[in-house]
This record gives sequence, structure tokens and C-alpha cells, in this order.
Amino acid sequence: MSDQQLQSRQRVDTISPDDTPFAIRMRRIRTVSRNAFDELLKSRTATIGAIMMIALISVCILTPVLATHPPTKPNYRIRLQPASADHYFGTDKFGRDIYSRVLWGGQRIVLISIAAVVLGLALGIPLGVFAGFFGGRFDSISMRFVDGLIAFPGLLLYLLIITVAREWKLEGFWNDLILVFALGLNTMPEIARLTRGTSMVESKKEYVEAAHVVGENSMYIALREILPNIVSPLIVNATVRLGYIILIIAALSFLGLGTPPPTPDWGSDLNVAREHMESHPMIAVYPGLAICYSVLAFNLFGDGLRDILDPRIQER
Amino acid sequence: MLIYAINRIIQIIPVIFILSVLVFGFVHALPGDVIDTLTATDGEEDPEVRAALEEEFGLNKPIYVQYFIWVGNALQGDFGKSLVTRRPVNIELIERIPATVYLALVGIGLSIIIAVPLGTLAAVRRNTLTDYSAQIVSLAGISIPEFWFAILCILLFALQLGWLPSSGYAPLFSEPGKSIWYLILPALAVGFRQAAFTTRLTRSSMLDEISKDYVDTARSLGLSERKVIYKYTLRNAMIPTITISGLQLASLLGGTVVLETIFSWPGIGLAIYSAIQLRDFPVIQAGVLVLGIMVVIINLLVDLLYRVLNPRVGMG
Repeated sequence: MSDQQLQSRQRVDTISPDDTPFAIRMRRIRTVSRNAFDELLKSRTATIGAIMMIALISVCILTPVLATHPPTKPNYRIRLQPASADHYFGTDKFGRDIYSRVLWGGQRIVLISIAAVVLGLALGIPLGVFAGFFGGRFDSISMRFVDGLIAFPGLLLYLLIITVAREWKLEGFWNDLILVFALGLNTMPEIARLTRGTSMVESKKEYVEAAHVVGENSMYIALREILPNIVSPLIVNATVRLGYIILIIAALSFLGLGTPPPTPDWGSDLNVAREHMESHPMIAVYPGLAICYSVLAFNLFGDGLRDILDPRIQER
Repeated sequence: MLIYAINRIIQIIPVIFILSVLVFGFVHALPGDVIDTLTATDGEEDPEVRAALEEEFGLNKPIYVQYFIWVGNALQGDFGKSLVTRRPVNIELIERIPATVYLALVGIGLSIIIAVPLGTLAAVRRNTLTDYSAQIVSLAGISIPEFWFAILCILLFALQLGWLPSSGYAPLFSEPGKSIWYLILPALAVGFRQAAFTTRLTRSSMLDEISKDYVDTARSLGLSERKVIYKYTLRNAMIPTITISGLQLASLLGGTVVLETIFSWPGIGLAIYSAIQLRDFPVIQAGVLVLGIMVVIINLLVDLLYRVLNPRVGMG
């Protein structure tokens, strides 16, 4: 056995038997958050993911500067052109610049996903904290409700909601708002479950009792003492969720249930590209690659973050 | 176990109730009503005609009465008539269940055949080139949108190489050869993404198992590595894998809409998609309800199976 292995064995031994897995996890989280940057660099996955994410978000912010052509203006004289110095990715069947459409489409999809995840967090965290912290009847009722939502197949929920939105002829901003609402509602249950589990464990801890004894009110304890302890698993969950939501939005608009045509959209652009798949296969490649890149960025970062926060790392 | 099973079955009742209310409410959230759709007059028809139709469809009763009538009919398999084909909805849908189940089962089967060996190999040869390749491929797999992967498959195998048909379906029992011929591409598209999930899962649950004490014990008793891995570790690691595969089967059913549309695979998903395009609301309603109930029941079965496989899990 090498020295290093021996050392790590000894370190395992120093963990006292009354340490719960949860306590180990929390200790790990505290260590990580103290030197977040160093820890991030240690995991190659997380580093690559972080770089890809930063690049993606910068491009989304800089879209108005980076895009070379108006994304919705048709020009029938230059239909279906191959990539050139003027049109980096070529043009689609209406003669629109694909490069600019991919950029604008990206800005939109990333914005919607972030809004949906933020909504999911905003609904899920308070519900989870209060259910876990106060327990009792509120807990059991709200968790039944959450179970019901989790069991509901996501895509079907969106199909229903979006069909209704379409029948009411909601367009543009309102349509996007409905989408954010549906996706956020579907993100909420998982977040609530996660938060509830953590805050239930935390609420049994001595420090919470101590806070009660000192006379802090419950609301203060829940928000001030418990919430900070559940931030890291939530970040992991939210990051992976962002990737998932991008996939869902793309799938919906691929089915023609997203924003109506002239708006640049990765999913619906892919659907249009199918018509010319045989003669111009590259048109179907760019939006697809863009989806892959963004989803991969969030998945990598989420994966890496999960590894970093993994309590077993201490034992190794 | 029996008590747990009964409890669990009782628990799905509220879920199905929420599902049915949402599905029932969906049609009522649409602008206008069934009569407008039927007469295509946007509420300007003869009041007598309207009254007669309202009587016929029971629309003059209070909404909760309508709900109970609807549930009562649905329980007897009567979902009304399609607005487009004028055939009973239940016949339209029952014809389509086999195609959906067939594709989903073959896709999941394919993914398990690929993923379990790959995941095991990656875990056993941890941090080697094999492991890294398996990890990269599976990470790519979960980041690629399945509809894009499907399009690329069609592009390559159907359009460029001409080896396989790009879409179509033949029933398994009457024309087995042709049926499998048509099945290959859709099953590949379903299986690829699932395989990516399952590989990651198998790898991580194998790693969990390998680090457990009983493995050290078995090794120190002089059992061969092969026996330790395949006889003991893999068996335990399979429990979460099987569970998640089952849960994925459920989510796959919910997500069949996209792939069935691309491959013109005549399952429930395609029925829902066409119904959305044609605004055939009774079919959307019944399709979503049927798929949703299938998902809930599969979740239930998987949960029970998990308890049977893994008696250590508490009965809570």
C-alpha cells in the first residue's frame, strides 16, 4: 500500500462513527464553498463546463453585436446558399442568414430556460423549506400535491398548455410567458422535494434547537440558518435542469408548438430544414449543434459540480 | 409488502384524479366550445340548433356534473367521437397502443443490451481510456436532442446510404420481417439516448458497489475478480439500473410524440400530434389521459418491483 493510500485510510478513520452521511456532505460543501474557485479548477469536467457556459452566455448577451444580418428578413435571391464569407453558415430556404438566426434563437432559448428554472426555484424552495421545517399536515398535503405533479408526464403537460395558448391566439411575448410558466411549474416539484429533504434533516440539528431556545422565530431560522445549507445541491440540480429545459423547448418548437415561424428558433428551424435535408443537409446541422453545445455545457458543469460536492471525495 | 402495495395503489388515485381534472379542464380552457368547433360558426348559429346540440352533448349541465359524466364514460372506455374522422376515439387509440408499446420496449431493451456491459466495463476499468470514452459517449448521448439524432440517422442511413426506410410501420405479427426492417431506425433513435442514461447509471452504481466492504471481504477470501464483479457486485448494482430503466420507459411513453412524428410511427404519440394539428380535441384529451395513466401505472409497477428486488428498502 502506498503512502498516499495509507494516508487516505487514516483520514477515513478519523471520521467519528456518529457522523451521518449528511454531516459529511455538509462538511464537504462548506470546504468547497470556502475556496470555490480552486475546487472548480480541480475538476476538469466542471472547468470545461464552466468555460462553455460562460462562452454561451457571453454570446447570448453579445448577440446584437455578433449577428451580421437581421434574422427574420427574407431575401429570395439568395435562397439555400452554402457557407460563405458573408453568410458564415449559409442561408435557409427564405434566404435568411442561418448564423444570425442561430445566435438570436440561442438568446431566446437560453433566456426562457433561465426564467423557467428561476420560477421553479422561486416556487419550489419556499414550499420545500416550509414543508420540511414545519412538517405535519402542511407537509403531507403539499408533498402529495408534489407527487402528483412529478408523476405527470412533462411533455404531455406542455402539449396541453401550449395547445390552449395557441387556441387563444397568444403570440410572441405572451406565448413565451406561458411556456416559462409551464416549464417552471414542472421544475418546481423536484426542487421542492430536494429542499424538503435537506431542511427536514437540518431542522433536527442542535443549532436549530439552540436558535429556538434563544428565541429566534421559526421563519428567521428557516430562511437564515437552513436555506444556506441547501444552496449547493440546488445549484447542481438547477444547472442540469437548464440543459433539460433547452431540450424540451427545442422539441416543442420542432413539433411546431413553439413561437410561430418568423421568430428564430432552433427547434422550428430544424423542422424547416428537414424539407431540404437531401439537397442541403448542412442546414439541419447548425441549429442541432447549437442545441448540443448548450445542453452539453450545462450537463458538464452540473456533473463536475456534483463530483466536487461528492462527500465521498474526502474518503478517497 | 402487501400493505405497502395496497398503500401505493391508493396513492395513485389522487394522481389520476389530478390528471383527469387537468385533461377535462383542458378542453374547457379552450376559447369557444365544442359546438363552435362542430358548427364552425363561432357562436353565431341558430339558438335552437345550439340548444339542441347543448342538450345532445350535455353542455347545459353544471360543470361538475359534466366532469362526472365524462369520467363515467371514460371508465367505460367511451371518450366520445373524433371531430375529424367521426369514429369513436377509443377505437382510434386502441389500435395505436401496440405500436407505441412495441417501439418503447424494443428501444429500452436495446439500451440495456448496450449500456449494462459498457457501464460495467467503465466502472471496472475506472480512469482508463475505456472509462473516459464510455463517459464521453454517454455524456454526448444525453446532450444530443433525440429528434436531431433521428434526423441525422435518416439522413445517413436512409437518404445517403439507402440502407433503411426513413419512415413507415408494419405490424410485428403479420409481417415480422418488414416490421423489424421499419423498426431499426426508430429503435436506434430511442435506444441511443436511453443507453446513454443507463450507461452513466450503471457505471455510478457499480462504483458504489465496488467501494463497499463486502467486496474487500470477498477479495480477501480469495475469490476471483471475475466472480466478485459478475456474481456479486453486478447483481446489486443492477437494482437501481432496472428501476431507472423502468422509470425511463414511463417517461419514454410520455415523450414518444416527437419520435413517432419524425418516423411516421402510428402510435399514440403520432395520434396526439396529428390531433393537435387538426384541432381534434377529444383525441388530444383521450390520448393524453391514456398515455398519462400508462405512465402512472408503469411507475407504480417499477416501484413495487424495486421493493421486491431490494428488501432492504424500508416500507415507509
